[in-house]
Amino acid sequence: MTFQSLILKLSEFWASRGCALQQPLDVEVGAGTMHPETFLRVLGPAHWRVAYVQPARRPADGRFGENPNRLFKHHQFQVILKPAPDDVQQMYLDSLEACGINPRQHDIRFEEDNWESPTLGAWGIGWQVMFDGMEISQFTYFQQAGGLELAPISAELTYGLERIAMVLQRVDSVYDIEWAPGVKYADVRLRDEIEQSKYVFGQVEIPGVEFGAFHRDLFEKYYLLATALLKAGLIWPALEHTLKCSHLFNILDSCNSIGVTERTAFILRIRQLAIGVAKTYVEGDAATSDPAPAIEGAS
Amino acid sequence: MDRELLLEIGCEELPAGWLPGLTNQIGETVDVQLRAHRLPPESPVETYSTPRRLTVRIVRIPERQNDLEELVTGPPVSASFKPDGTPTPAAAGFAAKQGVDVGALERLQTPKGEYLAFRRRQRGKATVDVLPEVLRDSLRGLQFPKAMHWDAMLEDGKGDLLFGRPIRWILYLYGGRVVPFSIARTAAAQTSQVQDVATGAVTYGHRFLTTSGRAGRAIKVRSFDEYRARLLENFVILEREERHDKIARELDAKAQRLQGRVSRTVNHETGLLLEVPDLVEYPSVVAGTFGVEFLELPEEVLTTTLIHHQHYFPVEGEDGTLKNAFLAVINTEPDNERTIARNAERVVTARLRDARFFWEADRKIPLEARIDRLGTLLFHKKLGSYKEKAERIERLAEWIASDALSADAATAKLAGQAARLAKADLATDMVREFPELQGVMGGVYARAEGQPEEVWKAIYYHYLPIGVEADAPPTKAQLGKAAVTWAAVSLADKLDTIVGLFAAGEKPTGSRDPYALRRAAQGVVSVLAGTTTITSVSALVDQAYQGYGGKEVANPAWRSAVFEFIKEREAYLLERRGYEAGEVQTVAEFWEWPLTALRRVEVVSKYRASTEFKSLGQLFKRVKNITKDFQPTAPLVEMCSRLSEPAETALADEMARRVPAIANALGQEAFGDVMREIVALVQPVDRFFTEVMVMVDDPHLREARLTLLCKLKESILSFADPSAIVQDDK
Repeated sequence: MTFQSLILKLSEFWASRGCALQQPLDVEVGAGTMHPETFLRVLGPAHWRVAYVQPARRPADGRFGENPNRLFKHHQFQVILKPAPDDVQQMYLDSLEACGINPRQHDIRFEEDNWESPTLGAWGIGWQVMFDGMEISQFTYFQQAGGLELAPISAELTYGLERIAMVLQRVDSVYDIEWAPGVKYADVRLRDEIEQSKYVFGQVEIPGVEFGAFHRDLFEKYYLLATALLKAGLIWPALEHTLKCSHLFNILDSCNSIGVTERTAFILRIRQLAIGVAKTYVEGDAATSDPAPAIEGAS
Repeated sequence: MDRELLLEIGCEELPAGWLPGLTNQIGETVDVQLRAHRLPPESPVETYSTPRRLTVRIVRIPERQNDLEELVTGPPVSASFKPDGTPTPAAAGFAAKQGVDVGALERLQTPKGEYLAFRRRQRGKATVDVLPEVLRDSLRGLQFPKAMHWDAMLEDGKGDLLFGRPIRWILYLYGGRVVPFSIARTAAAQTSQVQDVATGAVTYGHRFLTTSGRAGRAIKVRSFDEYRARLLENFVILEREERHDKIARELDAKAQRLQGRVSRTVNHETGLLLEVPDLVEYPSVVAGTFGVEFLELPEEVLTTTLIHHQHYFPVEGEDGTLKNAFLAVINTEPDNERTIARNAERVVTARLRDARFFWEADRKIPLEARIDRLGTLLFHKKLGSYKEKAERIERLAEWIASDALSADAATAKLAGQAARLAKADLATDMVREFPELQGVMGGVYARAEGQPEEVWKAIYYHYLPIGVEADAPPTKAQLGKAAVTWAAVSLADKLDTIVGLFAAGEKPTGSRDPYALRRAAQGVVSVLAGTTTITSVSALVDQAYQGYGGKEVANPAWRSAVFEFIKEREAYLLERRGYEAGEVQTVAEFWEWPLTALRRVEVVSKYRASTEFKSLGQLFKRVKNITKDFQPTAPLVEMCSRLSEPAETALADEMARRVPAIANALGQEAFGDVMREIVALVQPVDRFFTEVMVMVDDPHLREARLTLLCKLKESILSFADPSAIVQDDK
């Protein structure tokens, strides 16, 4: 099964379980959780089911295309089921079967792994799903987001698409994954990986300033903008610019520009923005619409 | 009639680390609730668990609740009857509430006067009618290290039911019949796919395996025996012990096939074999290998990758060195052994490749060059960075080595050097990736840089000891030439942390100890209890404080607080080493010297049971009481001439010989000899108290006798306070 048909299979599977298929957020993020379809939708009482692919950027994991398992940018398939249905674990296992994984021939386990994002003021209880010793998904029951207690509880399923593709295709390097018939992952992404790594590790000269200082400056500007947008009650733009700050923080962190001392302060500032966004969303009309499930499960 | 109670709470996978505790807890909770509901179990409470179930079975519980008889108090008699003798509205109202006439009420005498009362007898209900409440209250009673909301609630007025993981089914049988009960779901979550969890007569087997039918389907059962048998047919081994033994057997067999054995590291340093039975319902073992080139990585990195990250067992050869192989415990039948092993190998290889990347990258920068980077790593907001800490403990470790451990100047220098580099690995990629390797990794890098044994081993082991057991610190053989430098660095690091944080006002509370100061203080006393020092604890503490160079102090009472804290930890250490609280109390005065406190208490404990020692405790208590308000004004020799009774001169003579002997033996720390001398005094002291009256009218004689006893007290106290045990024996 190619990388793209894996995405198609998962999309088809979750669409048939009542999920609206969304598109990736067009802002740099570290995880699918940051997409408003997760971060905002898990707040408030409205029921919701959604699935989408989200490219996730982790600057510190950039390896110049030389490491077969670590990537500056990988792809997550994200599913939100709100509220979490009683058979959510079985649904997840069925989705693996739909992708051609026979669970009877492997060792599939749910091992404790609680998830926490200090920058989003969010945490949940759950597992990493282990497939023959490899983590292929993160499974979380959201308990809090943007500093707010959640009810009802959402289940978040995050599939590591590259990992699953490697298992299905039995390849040892991510770059050997067949993306489309005759097209390798390397053909699609390798140059991107190399160049992004060079960038985030500061192998670029910016006339007149130092790399770190330049990005700090960007951070401050986006922080200012996010604050202003929040004040104006523009929730989506405010969230997007909060995410810009989060991404810049990740870049600064990966090129060792932030002392550990400063880290906490950076994280706190981003979290305060995220909490502000969540509060404004819940207080406004957006979240208080009828909890009647618009798209109840079809299965 | 069959009176078996069987309860299985079917959950989504519970964390392995919780299972041992939860299994005990659910048994205790159900037992407590049965008793509270007047259904005391008539046979032992048995408990079982797998990641997906918590099970309680009791062969016999009563058929009916015990009858209840209680006295309900009404209004005072004085307010119950009008002058004409007819009941007041208060009395009539009370009687009506109880459903009887006023005439049927009793009179009850209380300290507050006479009251009307009704003796209510309630016949016990049938067990099956009470069991729903038992389950309800048991569900509320369970405590989890971290509980979650899952849109569930109980109809007991207490709202949401938090739990460790969502509950998906409940098997609840009494005498083979279902006890009805259900967990409701909150209004906010209810849909056709979020439903109440009702009890039933079914369980579920392994998610993917079965010997008949479809895997994962509901299995109907009527009794525990059937339950256990059907689970086994469906690939769930209910008994933890059986899972453990199956794992241990298969590990050994597979290791032998690899011409090796399971690495001893697993047994010595981790509880892996204790943990894996709680990760699986039907364990098997598969073997995998990795490229021999990874054996060039330090052993610590290999085992951490395998054990901590993958829960895999490393394999070693006859000579004790690691082989390029591992054993994985899986939760399925090994029909597809090769496929599963191949995938596991792929993960291990990926992780080792990462580790090798860090190993090669980290060694390009020497530890010394990383100290500047520590300047950005905050130790504590009031106490500065790790760079400052490194500089403080460099000086402190050197001082401890020379001034407390009597090391030569060269060794002290090496201790200082080790302390300076001890935290440098916090700035390496390897420790960022594997935080549990802090210290160890610094030691490994120092070794690779060619630092002498005294330095790299001191870094390697400086976080130890962590526990209170005698074998928690590294052994002499492990330390080799680094015994002194290790003790100096380990003490310096911990003392610096304790003193700094106490002074900064971060004293831990009963429930909060975010800087793990309790563990640090435990480490300090543990090192000191195994090392000969020439300085007291207070001198070490004061020296550590000097390192902060007069930084502003948030808690001016820090010094006495630190002493109290260390004292407590020392008492705890001695108790954990097997000495009773009373025995530990006898040497509490000597807390400043943990090693001698330990040696003294050893001796006290040995003599403790002897009759002499028991009388010594009693007599010594009398000595202490009688001399409580007395201060000798002249030396004993000047007083001796005033003594004439045979019993008192006999004691004085005995003391003239034994007191110097006690002092002499103490000087040589020959505590056994001290004890023998003290015990020899029991008989003369006993005779003294029998025959001699101390508090006589003659002030000169009284003073002489009190001076004699004071001398005796002083001499015995210089070893221990035997009266501390007397209180204990009460």
